Amino acid sequence: MTLQGYREDDRDLLTGSWLAGELLGLPVPDRPPLAEPATVPPPSGDDDELCVLPGVAFVRYTGLDWVHRRARVEIGLREGHEDAASMLAGLAVDHGLRDLRLHRLYGWITPAVSPAARLLTEAGFRREVSVPDGFWLAGKLVEREIWALTHDE
Amino acid sequence: MSDLRVLEIAAAAAELADSAEAGRGFLGLDPVTQNEPLLAAELARMSAGVCRADDALVGFAPNPGQPRQMFLASTSARPEPVTSLLGFLRTYCRSDSYLAMVPAGHPSAAAFESCRFTRIGTLRGHWYQSGEYRDITVYFAKAAVECPS
Repeated sequence: MTLQGYREDDRDLLTGSWLAGELLGLPVPDRPPLAEPATVPPPSGDDDELCVLPGVAFVRYTGLDWVHRRARVEIGLREGHEDAASMLAGLAVDHGLRDLRLHRLYGWITPAVSPAARLLTEAGFRREVSVPDGFWLAGKLVEREIWALTHDE
Repeated sequence: MSDLRVLEIAAAAAELADSAEAGRGFLGLDPVTQNEPLLAAELARMSAGVCRADDALVGFAPNPGQPRQMFLASTSARPEPVTSLLGFLRTYCRSDSYLAMVPAGHPSAAAFESCRFTRIGTLRGHWYQSGEYRDITVYFAKAAVECPS
């Protein structure tokens, strides 16, 4: 399978129950019904690259910086497709490093809800920073981590 | 303590452009490779604020996932501008914690260390300057921490 460019037909993929800005956003179980779903905007300029795996997930490279050759990655999976998470992390890395020729991919992970650490480690990401009180979740402040992958040129 | 003067976005971009080397890495911006309109657009996108404090510029931008956590930046090694900014943010923005992302070798690291920020990690190869990738050091402080200077 390969990532494809975003089309208007894929808009449903851009809203879901993962956490906003999450590097590998899996559906959060037991999310309160009144909690607003996370959403990402369709691409509107040169700062974002938005790809999809049709019907399954989106992969967004945001804050694309061609001087520093880096991007922050967000992945959002639809409910019922959690088993595709490992493959998607691999596809996101391949596209970022090989097609976009980036030097560095990074993103946010929220340990309180994310079981994704092992999947990210297998894809080559490493935890670089743990930020105390970095995210507001379910009525309290929780730690958020920055995970990154750096490709030596 | 330094007197703070809040700058409009356009004035902030102009002063940042004038700051040259000291402004590199200021809230992730680079006045050497980015022109004034781009600096202004990036500051607006981040909802950032920039203040003049004596001979230094200090800046802040909210963490989108936790708006009471502010990303900070300074162009100076002196702690006084950062002290003034912390007081301003605590009093007027109700900020409760701070992050600073400082490129390796940038003078502002001394200012944050003087204000008892702690190093919580390193972003490896996050910044490209003068032909090589450089690390970014990440500093953190809770709002209760007062700068001793």
